[in-house]
Amino acid sequence: MMGTLRMYGAFTRKSFQRAAAYRFDAWTRILGNVIMLFVWGSIWYALYRGKGSVENVTFSSMLSYILISQALQGIHGAGTPLWEIQERVRTGDIAMEMLRPYDYPLRMFFTDLGSIFFYFLTAVLPLYTLLFLILNPIRPTTLAQGVLFIVSATLGYFIRYCIELTFGLFTFWLVETGGVEDIFYFSISLFSGSVVPLWFFPNWLEHLAFYLPFQGIYFVPNSIFVGQLSGQALLVSLFTQVFWLAVCYALLRYVWAKASMKIVIQGG
Amino acid sequence: MLQTWRRGMRMYFYMIGVSIRTQLQYRYAFVMNILGWAMTYAGTAITMWVLLYSFGAIEGWDFWELLFLFALSVLSWGVCVVFFFHFRTLDQFIVQGTFDRFLVRPIHPFFHFMSMKFDVGAFGQFLFSIVAVAMAYHKLNLHWNIWQWFVFLGAVIGGTLIQGGLLIAISAMAFWTTRSERVYWVVMWPAKSLMNYPLSIYPRAVQVLVTFVLPFAFVNYLPAMLLLGKTSAIFPPYWGFFSILVGVIFFWLCFQLWMLGLNRYQSAGS
Repeated sequence: MMGTLRMYGAFTRKSFQRAAAYRFDAWTRILGNVIMLFVWGSIWYALYRGKGSVENVTFSSMLSYILISQALQGIHGAGTPLWEIQERVRTGDIAMEMLRPYDYPLRMFFTDLGSIFFYFLTAVLPLYTLLFLILNPIRPTTLAQGVLFIVSATLGYFIRYCIELTFGLFTFWLVETGGVEDIFYFSISLFSGSVVPLWFFPNWLEHLAFYLPFQGIYFVPNSIFVGQLSGQALLVSLFTQVFWLAVCYALLRYVWAKASMKIVIQGG
Repeated sequence: MLQTWRRGMRMYFYMIGVSIRTQLQYRYAFVMNILGWAMTYAGTAITMWVLLYSFGAIEGWDFWELLFLFALSVLSWGVCVVFFFHFRTLDQFIVQGTFDRFLVRPIHPFFHFMSMKFDVGAFGQFLFSIVAVAMAYHKLNLHWNIWQWFVFLGAVIGGTLIQGGLLIAISAMAFWTTRSERVYWVVMWPAKSLMNYPLSIYPRAVQVLVTFVLPFAFVNYLPAMLLLGKTSAIFPPYWGFFSILVGVIFFWLCFQLWMLGLNRYQSAGS
């Protein structure tokens, strides 16, 4: 057990070192993140101009929502991108991974952890701490709220990871995933509440979103962070996240098992 | 001079013909690519619709006006993708040393690099933007006269030159830093989304920046104001006429930057 953990830990350490070696890439990425933050901040500011609160949400809450959402999106984005997984399947490199004595989905997770740590420590954490201090929007008031946010955000990360990797593995059957991929990305970005919280959705769409796994990625942690979700509703949401994580994980394991059986390598 | 041009044009069409046929080889991928792009933009449009569902309008722009604004930029971006999108990949050629082949052929390197690909995937952009513009035109009860159609056409041409110029400028960065593709995805792609919303939502300094430095304002905002009869606190209404002019100047400047980089280029390794 300890030995296994140490082996996976080596992947985390190596990828941390690699991220440190390619610092430039991490910092250009934060520039893109800040531009998107600026765009969405401006949009919400303009939407709220002359309005006190909409659907019981004030601008201060919304600003906090956008900030924490962009910070989380930055963290999610620091892992291995989907296209890289697909490329590995297409070129057949994934066969090499299967020969080695580790579990590929787990290995990927630990590798991502390293680059995420680096990105979080050198870019996301200092930048967003500063932004929260300057803009001073609503923040968690109690320690419990903060801890619940971290728990929920972590669950959200695992949900996104399982879904994305499962989707990446579909390349085993489809080879070209073009159009499907775009629907997938769109669903994640809209239904996860990454830029527009589910409160502002039309009722029917909000209902639809509540029955999808994506809301657990950003919407639930963000809502906890800004204090829109508390008491019993919060526990229900956390439970829903755990439920979806279990489903997505089972799906990932199932697809991975099937994919390992069906390896097609392009070319000779 | 004329003959070189004619020969160049003939070669250009020959080469893009080859490029189109290559892309058509994988028919399923070809269709999926087009549908994929169309759906990506439709997704952004749906997000706008959801956003305005509770709020009604942003800075006085309702959903259909916003859709028109967005679709106008996607339309010229589509034209731009056809001709210039592969410029972002220049870094790969420089790093791998394969850029040299563009220098030893009897055709201008810029032209040669440009003719390498004619991206038919852009039909996805056309599919989305033409449908969206037509829908907005209908919903907003617009009746343009001949001059307004000229403004529209001017916005498409000017927008193509401005966004194409920017792609070329990013590509030129590869001559100095050996990086361009990443810069495109992490900086230009987000920066381009500034244009999806009326520029009046941004602080004044940013409005000045996207008018005089990176002239995104001329791609869609200024012409759209003219076409939809909007007014702004900062911009005089007739500025929308100047898209082509701004486009030509900006493109020329970016082209000069690219040529400057080219002259500085040294092949990688042996």
